[in-house]
Amino acid sequence: MTSTPLPTGGPTLTATARDRVVDALRGDGLWLDLGAATWRVQSDSGVFADQLRTVYGGFPFQPSGDWADLHCEIVRPAGLRRWLRPQVIFRCDGQHPFEPFPADSPLPLYEWGGNWLAASRLNHLLLLHAGALERDGLALVLPAMPGSGKSTLTAALSRRGWRLLSDEFGAYDPVQGELRAMLKPVALKNQSIEVIRRFAPEAVMGPAIPRTRKGTVAHLAPDDAAIAARGRGARPGAVILPKWVADAPLQLEPIPGQMLFSAVAFNAFNYRVLGRTGFDAVVQIAQRCPGWRLTYSRLDDAVAALDQLWPEVQAHHRRQEAA
Amino acid sequence: MAPAYGRRDGIAVEPVGDFWAAFSPVSGESILLNDESAAILEVLAEGPATTQQVAAQLALDTGDVAADLHDLVAGCWLTLIDSGLVQQLALDPHVGP
Repeated sequence: MTSTPLPTGGPTLTATARDRVVDALRGDGLWLDLGAATWRVQSDSGVFADQLRTVYGGFPFQPSGDWADLHCEIVRPAGLRRWLRPQVIFRCDGQHPFEPFPADSPLPLYEWGGNWLAASRLNHLLLLHAGALERDGLALVLPAMPGSGKSTLTAALSRRGWRLLSDEFGAYDPVQGELRAMLKPVALKNQSIEVIRRFAPEAVMGPAIPRTRKGTVAHLAPDDAAIAARGRGARPGAVILPKWVADAPLQLEPIPGQMLFSAVAFNAFNYRVLGRTGFDAVVQIAQRCPGWRLTYSRLDDAVAALDQLWPEVQAHHRRQEAA
Repeated sequence: MAPAYGRRDGIAVEPVGDFWAAFSPVSGESILLNDESAAILEVLAEGPATTQQVAAQLALDTGDVAADLHDLVAGCWLTLIDSGLVQQLALDPHVGP
C-alpha cells in the first residue's frame, strides 16, 4: 500500500484563511501527506483547526485527494454532557478507542490517536519507535524507550542541519531498503519543552497542554525544508541508542551488531506482525549500519558528537559499497 | 535408540555482529544464536540427524573430536526446539545415543 502523491504546491495551512481550514475539516476533511502515508482528518472543532494550522502550518492545504492511507475524526461528542464539560473524541472506522480529551486540547489526542492508527495499519512498513533524521542521503535512527530523551535529541538535531524524517516512527520500507518520512510534529514533554524553546527560540511550537497522561506536552512543527523533502527517503546510515542522564559526561560507545539487532527489533511496533519480512528488515539494518550508545546530559554536546561522527558513518558506507 | 532432530521449514539464519539472528515461522520468534547453534542448523539443512551424527559432522568440519562435541550439541537442542527452529523427530533405531 502506497499513497498516491498529492500535489505539493498551493498555499500552506498557515497561509490559508482560518475559515477555509475550518470548513474543510467540517466537510470532506484535510489530506495531510506526511511522506510515507497520507492522513485524512475531519473535525468540527475550531480549536483543533487552530492547533493544526500551527504545528502542520507548513504543509499544503489539501481539502481533497484521491487517496488517504488513514482516516480519522476529531469531533465533539453528542449529548448534553458536551455542555457540562466540553470534550473531543478521536474516531476512526466508526469507533472511538480512547478516552475523550478536553475540548481545548484536541491536538495531543489527534497525535496519539494517529500514532496508534498508524502503528496498527501501516504494515507495509517496519515501524520503529525511533527518531529518524537524514543527512547526506543517510538516515540516523534513534530507537529508544520513553524517557530516554529521544524526542528532545531528535528535535534538537532537526534544528541543526539534520532533516527530520520522524520523531515517533522510524518508517523503514523493506522493499526500497530506506527510511521514509512520517513527518509529524515532534511531541515534547515537560522539561523538554523549555529546553527546546531555549535551544531553538525561532522554532514554531504549538501550545503547551498540561495534565495529559504524559504530563505537559507541546509539539514542535517540522521546518519547511523537511516538509518539502518529505517524499524523499534515506538509506539507513547509523543507529544510535540515546540515553539522557542528568549531569553525565558525554559518552559514545560502539555497540556490536547483535545488540543493534535486538534494539531495533525490540523497538519495532509491528515486528511480530510482519513475521519474516520484519526479521529480514531488521537484519538489513543491523548488517548495514554501525551503532553506538550515546549517553548525554547536554544537547549541544550530543549534537556536536553526532556531527563529528557522521563522516565516519559515511566512510563506513562507502567501504561497504566498494566491497 | 537416539532421537533425530530436523530443521523446521522456512527458518532464516543471518549473521549479525558476533552472533547469528534466527527466525522461526512456527513460533514467530527471533533469537540470537552462538556459532555452535548456527553450525548445528547448517548441518541439519542437509537433513535430519541425531546428536551423534551432528557431532560427527561438526568434528569433520572443525577438526575437533566428535566425542568432545557431543555434549555441546546435546546442550543446544532445548533452546533450538523451544525457539521453533528444530523439531525432534521419530527415534532412529539404527543409531546409538
